[in-house]
Amino acid sequence: MANIAAQRIKREFKEVIKSEEVAKCAIRVELVNDNYTELKGEIAGPPDTPYEGGNFILEIKVPETYPFNPPKVRFMTKIWHPNISSVTGAICLDILKDQWAAAMTLRTVLLSLQALLSAAEPDDPQDAVVAKQFKENVEMFQLTARHWTNAYAGGPNANKDFDDKIKKLIEMGVDEHEARVALSSYNWDMERATEQLFS
Amino acid sequence: MASSASSSTGSSKKIDANGGPDTADKEEKKEDRTFECNICLDTARDAVVSMCGHLFCWPCLHQWLETRPSRQVCPVCKAAISKEKVVPLYGRGSTKQEDPREKVPPRPAGQRTEPEGGSTFPGFGFGDTGFHMSFGIGAFPFGFFTSTFNFGDARPGAAPHGTPQHLEEQYLSKLFLWLAVLFIFWLLLA
Repeated sequence: MANIAAQRIKREFKEVIKSEEVAKCAIRVELVNDNYTELKGEIAGPPDTPYEGGNFILEIKVPETYPFNPPKVRFMTKIWHPNISSVTGAICLDILKDQWAAAMTLRTVLLSLQALLSAAEPDDPQDAVVAKQFKENVEMFQLTARHWTNAYAGGPNANKDFDDKIKKLIEMGVDEHEARVALSSYNWDMERATEQLFS
Repeated sequence: MASSASSSTGSSKKIDANGGPDTADKEEKKEDRTFECNICLDTARDAVVSMCGHLFCWPCLHQWLETRPSRQVCPVCKAAISKEKVVPLYGRGSTKQEDPREKVPPRPAGQRTEPEGGSTFPGFGFGDTGFHMSFGIGAFPFGFFTSTFNFGDARPGAAPHGTPQHLEEQYLSKLFLWLAVLFIFWLLLA
């Protein structure tokens, strides 16, 4: 049984490498081990989204029952998105759960994730805090997501205001990531973030 | 790589192997890919095709259907799909193909419908028409009822409603019912 999974991943791997999306640098796959059970995926942040210019790394674990069951995928790169946990990188996407179909491939999964970045689904959230912000203050959400893309995914758009606030908290002895999470969760309100961090 | 030589490129196969990739080789590969199973991505073995037209190995599709018995959809287009509604593809020499995954139940058989017309009266060959009659004599009223009730049952293999065969069977059924009734009266009177 494991044989069919490895055989298929081998074929898919070749297919992805030759695909035009790879040529356009939109997606990429790398092998992590030799027996094709774990891979590293990479997707480019789609244009005209807060994720533009960022590169997001994914952990892909291929179960023995692949392709009858979906691969286990999670974001290694920290990301601010309603359907992706900002803590664990876990993804809420139907095709990775009950809507999986055996004819889907690594390529279609990566492309679907890229599509998820450009079309969030806040009514079916993975990260409740992010989803709440998305619904209540889209502009704030976009600024925060852009800032996270800059901080973790190599995005080009730095936000001086946000960076300064984080610096201040770091000077107070707070870990950089913790400071970012606290500020992001409280719409970059310094007072409330500090309160939460030191309570 | 290519398992089947097409008639046009069959003779050039050896040359391809020596001369590296050329157009004929590429064409052959492309042709092969058309017949890839949508699940294992290999050339389809024991090929079946769904009503929505997607090709699979039967072992692959069977495993997919077994994985989600409650939600049987086509792995490609998510159309409704079922074991009964896939069509097997029989190519020449397909019976000789060995299936490495023997645990899988046999692939569903093709359904063969007889061409229209040419149906003749089957006469009294009961076996041919699927007509069965049982007749028992027991304690009077019960034996009578059991034998008549048998006529009312829908027998497996009976012809569907509306066909000439069905009408013939109905006719025969009534005929034998009356014969049975007469026979019982004769027994009573004698």
